[in-house]
Amino acid sequence: MTSIYQINSATRIRFARRFLISLSRMRRASTLGPPSDEEIRTRTRRIRIVSYSSMAFAVGSSRAWSRALVLKIRNRARFRGILRNKCLASKKKRVIKRHKVSREMSKTDMLRRLVPGGAGMGICGLLEETAHYMTCLATQVKVMQSIADHYSK
Amino acid sequence: MGSSGDNNDGLAFQSGGQSVVNCQSSGMGGNPFFASAWDPVVSISQHENFGGSSMLSQSELTNSPYPVVMENQGISTTSHLVHYQSGSSYVELVPKFPSYGSGSFSEMVSSFGLNECGQIANTGCHPNYTTNKEANIERTIANSAESQEDHQLTEEPITGASPDGKKRKRVGESNSSYDPNKNAEGERLKDPSGHSSDVQKEQDEKKPRTEQNSGANLRGKQSAKQAKNNSHSGEAPNENYIHVRARRGQATNSHSLAERVRREKISERMRLLQELVPGCNKITGKAVMLDEIINYVQSLQQQVEFLSMKLATVNPELSNDIEKILSKDILHPRGSNAALMGFVPGMNAHPYSHGIFPASIPVISNANPQFPSVPHTTLDNDLQSLFPNGI
Repeated sequence: MTSIYQINSATRIRFARRFLISLSRMRRASTLGPPSDEEIRTRTRRIRIVSYSSMAFAVGSSRAWSRALVLKIRNRARFRGILRNKCLASKKKRVIKRHKVSREMSKTDMLRRLVPGGAGMGICGLLEETAHYMTCLATQVKVMQSIADHYSK
Repeated sequence: MGSSGDNNDGLAFQSGGQSVVNCQSSGMGGNPFFASAWDPVVSISQHENFGGSSMLSQSELTNSPYPVVMENQGISTTSHLVHYQSGSSYVELVPKFPSYGSGSFSEMVSSFGLNECGQIANTGCHPNYTTNKEANIERTIANSAESQEDHQLTEEPITGASPDGKKRKRVGESNSSYDPNKNAEGERLKDPSGHSSDVQKEQDEKKPRTEQNSGANLRGKQSAKQAKNNSHSGEAPNENYIHVRARRGQATNSHSLAERVRREKISERMRLLQELVPGCNKITGKAVMLDEIINYVQSLQQQVEFLSMKLATVNPELSNDIEKILSKDILHPRGSNAALMGFVPGMNAHPYSHGIFPASIPVISNANPQFPSVPHTTLDNDLQSLFPNGI
């Protein structure tokens, strides 16, 4: 094993910077004083997506999971409008299928779902990606926490 | 007896290579026993390239009553007789044994005494360990020998004493006070565990090869082996591919070999993951470990959700300059775990959140007066819908 699952401080800095910049962009857009619940929900979703994307961009294309995440975000952004129409039609099918699938789901399948890009890998690669993904998530959480603390003071 | 160690001279104590065998067998306590057992061994002992395995016999040598006999022998030969261990282990032992060669046995013994037990095949300590020793010695010789013929010769007698091969595992534990019974039990236990300490069938002289093998084969089950191997791991030059040796008692089918390598890879990665996930030091087993990993990743994602919600509610008061200051602060990993506790009431308090943020005080509620008004209503409803992990 030669891979190292430690994240450099450079990655952390990149993530922090990207995240803060996108946060400031979002804040400029919102003008309401007391945000409504709905708005909070929307904002939460956006901030979550922003944090994941900043992390993925900070990591770059060196990892399979970051690549998959970047692709997912880009595709989402492009096909948002198109997919909305399609989603309504296919929702029924999805619901029916889920009941069947949930019983047979194994642990590795669950892990594949959690880790972005895990579907296309063997268990060996999946475990490696999981390790790196875990460390990245941990730094993401720490950075977001420090930001939140700073803002709340 | 010539130092060449003819087959007929199996019992010859004087020959360089054979004497070692003899010493050990004598330790076992029976000449007749020796004769039958050692013949094939003797043929192997002829090879004097034992350099690698010289270490093995440390403990045995100290115990063996034949110091005199050993003296003349190449130390290397004695070393390998001691224990069978997989060839890789022998190779690694070699470098640690500078004095071997034509040095006096006493020197060897003393050096052995100082050396860690880990180097010696665990079985080294029992003079009474007749069958095991025999098998071990045979194996060690087999390992040390470069030719495959020896391998064939030694295989048969060794197979009879299959549990012996597993001894090696106890390297760290075994000492001169080693108890043969314990060893036998340990070996038997190890056997079903999966041939982890099987002897390698061929002795490969090349260090890099064995290093590679050890790298590929030693995972998991043999901690002692690993201890040995790790010490020498720096010496092996990198090769383009990994040589894998079939272990003793295992099929040499290419499929099973590849499977074994794959399994070892997976177990190695699981171990790495075990270190990453907090509080999983004692867990043994893939299933439980996978559960823990999944839970941990899910909890981390939940934390991201929670924090993003918290950030959504914070007022955008700060200017861009402060962001730069922030980035400097964030450079240093912060242990501010208090923030997370606030979300507990609305969400499943996952154990990890407690583990990760041990000293967490519900500071959030105080720090952000806005916050408590938001979550309790929205958390239950919204967070659950927002939870799809990932995006």
